Amino acid sequence: MRIRIVVACLMAIALAWLLSATRSVSVPAPAATAPPTQAAGKPIDFDREIRPILSDTCFSCHGPDEKQRMANLRLDETEGLFIDRGGYKIIVPGNSAQSRLYQKISSKDPAVRMPPVFANRTLTDAQVELIEKWIDQGAHWERHWAWIAPKRPAVPEVQDKAWPRNPIDDFVLARLERQGLKPSPPADKATLLRRVTFDLTGLPPTPAELDSFLADNAAAAYEKRVDQLLASPHYGERMAMDWLDLARYADTHGYHIDSLRDMWRWRDWVIDAFNRNMPYDQFTIKQLAGDLLPNATVEDKIATGFNRNHMIDFEGGAIPQEYHVEYVVDRVSTTGTAWLGITIGCARCHDHKYDPIKQKDFYRFFAFFNTVPERGLDGQLGNAAPVLELPSPEQKSQFAGLEAQISKTLAAIPEKEMVALQNQWRRQPLAPLPATLEEGLAARYEFQGNLKDSSGHALDAKATRGDVVYDDGPVGQAADFTGETQVDFPAGDFERDRPFALAFWAGPDGTKGLDLIQKHSASPNWRGYEISTGDPTFDGPQRPRFTIFVRLASHWPDDAIEVKSKERVRFNGDHHLVVNYDGSGKASGVSLLVDGKPLETQAVKDHLTGSISTESALSVGNKAIGRPLKGQLDDFRLYSRTLRPSEADALAIQVPERALFTELAGKPVEEISTLQPEKPPAEVDIGMEDQPPTKEEKDASQLKEHQARLSEYYLKYEAPENDRQLYAQLNDLRAQKANLQQSIPTIMVMAEMKKPRDTFVLGRGQYDNPKEKVTPGVPSFLPPLPPRAPPNRLGLAAWIVDPQNPLTARVAVNHFWQGYFGIGLVKTSEDFGSQGEPPSNPELLDWLATEFIRTGWNVKAMQRLIVTSATYCQSSKVTPELEERDPENRLLARGPRVRLPAEEIRDNALAISGLLNDKIGGPSVYPYQPKGIWEEMAFGEGFSGQTYHESAGPDLYRRSMYTVWKRTVPPPALTTFDAPDREKCTARRIPTNTPLQALVLLNDPTYVEAARALAQRMMETGGKSAADRVDFAFRLATDREPSPAEREVLVATYRDQLADFQRQTEDAAKLLSVGASRYDPRLNKSELAAWTTVASMILNLDETITKE
Amino acid sequence: MNQHQLTLAMTRRTFFRRSTAGVAIGIPALAGLLSQDGLAVEPGRDPRTGGLIGFPDLAPKAKRVIFLHQSGAPSQIELFDYKPKLRQLQGQELPDSVRNGQRITGMTSGQSSFPVAAPIFNFRQAGQSGAWISELLPHTAAIVDDITIVKTVYTEAINHDPAITFIQTGFQQPGRPSMGSWVSYGLGSENQNLPAFVVLISQANALNPDQPLFSRLWGNGFLPSKYQGVKFRASGDPVLYLSNPLGISPTTRRRMLDGIAKLNGLLAAEYGDPEIEARVTQYEMAYRMQTSVPELADLSKEPESTFALYGEDARKPGTYAANCLLARRLAERGVRFIQLYHRGWDQHNDLPRDIALQCKGVDQASAGLVQDLKQRGMLDDTLVIWGGEFGRTVYCQGKLTATNYGRDHHPRCFTMWMAGGGVKRGITIGQTDDYCYNVVEDPVHIHDVQATVLNCLGIDHTKLTYKFQGRYFRLTDVAGNVVIKALA
Repeated sequence: MRIRIVVACLMAIALAWLLSATRSVSVPAPAATAPPTQAAGKPIDFDREIRPILSDTCFSCHGPDEKQRMANLRLDETEGLFIDRGGYKIIVPGNSAQSRLYQKISSKDPAVRMPPVFANRTLTDAQVELIEKWIDQGAHWERHWAWIAPKRPAVPEVQDKAWPRNPIDDFVLARLERQGLKPSPPADKATLLRRVTFDLTGLPPTPAELDSFLADNAAAAYEKRVDQLLASPHYGERMAMDWLDLARYADTHGYHIDSLRDMWRWRDWVIDAFNRNMPYDQFTIKQLAGDLLPNATVEDKIATGFNRNHMIDFEGGAIPQEYHVEYVVDRVSTTGTAWLGITIGCARCHDHKYDPIKQKDFYRFFAFFNTVPERGLDGQLGNAAPVLELPSPEQKSQFAGLEAQISKTLAAIPEKEMVALQNQWRRQPLAPLPATLEEGLAARYEFQGNLKDSSGHALDAKATRGDVVYDDGPVGQAADFTGETQVDFPAGDFERDRPFALAFWAGPDGTKGLDLIQKHSASPNWRGYEISTGDPTFDGPQRPRFTIFVRLASHWPDDAIEVKSKERVRFNGDHHLVVNYDGSGKASGVSLLVDGKPLETQAVKDHLTGSISTESALSVGNKAIGRPLKGQLDDFRLYSRTLRPSEADALAIQVPERALFTELAGKPVEEISTLQPEKPPAEVDIGMEDQPPTKEEKDASQLKEHQARLSEYYLKYEAPENDRQLYAQLNDLRAQKANLQQSIPTIMVMAEMKKPRDTFVLGRGQYDNPKEKVTPGVPSFLPPLPPRAPPNRLGLAAWIVDPQNPLTARVAVNHFWQGYFGIGLVKTSEDFGSQGEPPSNPELLDWLATEFIRTGWNVKAMQRLIVTSATYCQSSKVTPELEERDPENRLLARGPRVRLPAEEIRDNALAISGLLNDKIGGPSVYPYQPKGIWEEMAFGEGFSGQTYHESAGPDLYRRSMYTVWKRTVPPPALTTFDAPDREKCTARRIPTNTPLQALVLLNDPTYVEAARALAQRMMETGGKSAADRVDFAFRLATDREPSPAEREVLVATYRDQLADFQRQTEDAAKLLSVGASRYDPRLNKSELAAWTTVASMILNLDETITKE
Repeated sequence: MNQHQLTLAMTRRTFFRRSTAGVAIGIPALAGLLSQDGLAVEPGRDPRTGGLIGFPDLAPKAKRVIFLHQSGAPSQIELFDYKPKLRQLQGQELPDSVRNGQRITGMTSGQSSFPVAAPIFNFRQAGQSGAWISELLPHTAAIVDDITIVKTVYTEAINHDPAITFIQTGFQQPGRPSMGSWVSYGLGSENQNLPAFVVLISQANALNPDQPLFSRLWGNGFLPSKYQGVKFRASGDPVLYLSNPLGISPTTRRRMLDGIAKLNGLLAAEYGDPEIEARVTQYEMAYRMQTSVPELADLSKEPESTFALYGEDARKPGTYAANCLLARRLAERGVRFIQLYHRGWDQHNDLPRDIALQCKGVDQASAGLVQDLKQRGMLDDTLVIWGGEFGRTVYCQGKLTATNYGRDHHPRCFTMWMAGGGVKRGITIGQTDDYCYNVVEDPVHIHDVQATVLNCLGIDHTKLTYKFQGRYFRLTDVAGNVVIKALA
């Protein structure tokens, strides 16, 4: 509401302004007769000089966004600029004085002057003058450069013909010569090798590589080395590093609880694609639509993980539809940024303010990504649907084998006959339960909709807090405890020297240990007994196994028995528990049976001497004294004797069966559901988790389930021997298959719904505000989908890599360029639109883009072209004059000098210290991280990714691109060096220089350990003298010899430190103890420690962390 | 001020231009060369603070902010927004006319009934202003004449992740800079030895403590990473990687730093890149942080009276009380934005038990902080804010009994209070309806809160912008009105 009012006000002001202007400006002589003023100076380039001003200053009110447009005036198109507006024109070419635009922007009257004060935009005098000149020169207008497909420019003529090595250099040099600048001399060989090795592999050259390169005097030595680097398997890693930022790759889901996902196979795919030099068009098509390719391979499908790398939510209470929209929006924005360099995401809520992207264009693009069979809330258990299973060849053949055996077994089972026999059995009278089950029965609570004692020996139980809800249970109905319910049972006052037994069904929910039965007070020194679950381990997120605890006490915890199960039990539903106590006063007198089978126990406490009799109630769900039960309780029996295994078995198996038998009397079974082939899982869709079943559906499914349970009993215990065996065999095979299924890794991928959902324009971008229905399509200001392209992601991908697409190749080569020079030819690599910065060298950009297409999108060839240019090979040293004229090196009169990316800073330290484990690919690893930084922000137990389990051994030293990336707590040592959090697509990192970076390099155990390992290397292979060792390490870190002055600083530090550490040997030992790796104990500790400090200094040098 | 300090917070490029050519001489030359190509020139920054030149653009009342965020959303119904009529409505169904189409979270949307739950706690009038305050907050009641209570804050999100992201960054979805990042980007730092934006995390007092936090809440979004909040931690190093490694004595560290500075100096002479000298400066600041942070975090020299004021809990590192005390010490040292979190306010069930525990954990220390600042004369230029990310429903979640109930998330109204620099004292703003469900008078949107905070710091929230993806982004997105009634 408020916004609308403001807008209305602004429009009123704008209109008033137009009218007032019309009145106040005296109309000069008709434009047609006025000779155009001859503006002096060089011609003004509209696209580079004028449009950026208009865009930044005027478009937000007079641009593409129809709804926000003021005064019905549009300045981003020719029509708005040049049409006759009934007696006046915005621009009269050649006559600034008659042009309303100029009149407005040059007015001295603040009420008239544009832009208005409330717009928070101003035009400088120079800008006003520039616009004036442009109009006077004839107001030449052209379309925004980025929307026009690049035409291959002619390679320009240059004066210094000796300098260029390839056409890149001609373009760069022509620009420099126009500015009266000269390129820098070439970088020395060592610097160049270090630069190109980092740029193509992310690692420093080894000393051997350096030596052999320095010794190679062949003319093509450098090109030869470049080719070797391009062939290195680490090339793919280096290229993937940048792509991971664009792909917002991470190992967790990102929202709220932020648990783990498993997408590293996609990362491996990217590394491999670069290493195999997959053409960029293929690289694009596979990631956007690999699943839709004819005969799509598993690899093609893995590639589509790109568009599943977005964040996924499962916050309790969130609305699935709301988050589903966010996922699709993210795919649209990311695809727009990564491939097209357009800020299409800005058109989610309204037409784009600067670029001609309509809101409808956004939702047509959205439609390409809106037909994935996915849930709005998902990911609690790891990967979210849809997933691709990636069995190993072994698992695959095992799986096929099991499936074949299952169908064979199913075929061998005479189902019809079994049904007939079973129905016959069902008509027979039941065999009686063991009569002894009534013996010694002190109380029995069946929970058939009430809390009555059915044994006749005890009183009824009572709900003392909350209400009991009754639900379908193992034996008829069961009591459902919510955590808000407490029931007190007036029974179970037993003594230490008398035997007793408790038998019940329990189905505790959740991932935390709970108290099942408690008979004692709230006192910390309680008397009585309790049965609890606790100490979980996890088979997977939210799949806990619990230890069962039985405690009897006269005075807890010192006069007590505590017994726990040796094995943990998985409470996936209800289990029957029997706790026996033989009255011996010993822990060995407690036994535990689960589902009728004895469970081994061990004693924790075994010292009970006093009475355990207490007046405290036997209660379930008492939150005052523990962790109240959440979940089911059924058929609760108390005995004043112990139960025999056969009796426990009867309680667990026959009692429920009898209940079913009675319930289903007269309802013969028609088919045995467990003998049907398993149905493939239904396709998931947003909001599926939202719809509770109707009462009819619930009843029907309950009947079906009870039939299955009774059939199960029949086939297990009552059917003819042969049938029982077949059935047991089938069950066993199915259990094996289920286990195998759970161990098969998955990856999230793109897929299409069988029945695609519709897409609508969403009013103001809100999920619950659908407007016009739309079909998939591309923005109308760009070329149309190629002929015969299908209207799906595959068609979209084909459109993106169509040579007619003006953006894709430019955006790609610009990303490459940015990787080498720190800044792209278009600095705003995320935005090629009218608000982005125009290219610093447009001809070069277009030449590279067309060259990229011409070579068949050959990625390695493009890298080779750039790194073998004279431009790239220049020295990065800078004169004060040049630094002042061109601080960001946009003109490229020198080579790049860029701080290494976060990952490479660490990888470099590991590499030169010899610690690096350069294994390629695989799951993410957990290197050193300060303790507790995940935990202090975590949700708690029951979800993955809440506690940090540091890796051990070689995994501590993997390259940083494999460090586990938790979105809500990204690796601090990497983010300190400007790595993004990976919540959203990031097209470029903005380098900063902060004190926290110094703290990381000086104090992070990673770097302290690396310094120690480097010190050891210095002592073992760096020569004998201090100077030699300094030279050795310095060269490892910088690929050059230190100057005498530099050497002296390091040698002097060594001497001082050695003296100190010889006095303080404890300090030396402490310093050497940092890190998990061990040092050679034969080395002198004080010397090693002194060298460690020197090595640490070397690792901290600006030069070490910079690509010179 | 020496040259190092002068250049401390300057960006690489302005550093160069200033140190070699005097103030800003380089800029026109550069502009002349590049701007004709439409290439951007970085805006200038204040050499002293590192803030943007031109900011603050209004007369600042506050120099710094302490934001006491109660994560999980405290119930306004139990604490501040006294509704005596609820007792009569206890157990009655919330009328549809009151709910009026408000969407409900997935946690209660399946409930068949929405019975009104009256708070079981008593309220008393406090101070000269006579504001009604819950018996759970006796210390807050004692400072009521120093604070402005806003009962009508409202938001749009109904779940924690989007709501807390909204109040901290002005947008429900990730990707935007946090409030503290905006402030340190705009105003820079008043301090040479500490970060401009510090984050303190305190764990819950409630028995049901689960409430995740995310780095994005103090993240830099699309701003350069140096503007992100720096966490001060209660265990381990107060700042990550602050301590020297084992076996590295202060002498050794100094020696190493001197050596590194010399070597980097030699390199700078060779390469001419001003970035190298900037790095030397950062190493010196890191060194100073190594002494200033432990001194700051050491509460042992605080007199007994401090602990009487903040509560005995303040002796235990990591508690909310200790963090409030730390916040004052940070404020004293010129830290610009102190973002404190207290987890554990998400009372879907067992609200009476857990909210009482939470209040015990925060009441005295929050009030103590305000009093302490006042005693020290710092309340005039320090803005303290207290509140969660949304409110809680008047209807019960789960089972309603005479002694127990829970409340779901409620976006349409909740209470925050502010104190100090720039805001009035002893007033209450806004009225909600009898159900504590809808705002009746003076609605205050999250963006309005943010606009007001910036206003107190002397920033017009529509002017502090950063161009990203072609758009001039701001903390308040496209909305926000300063809450004039709150301003002193």
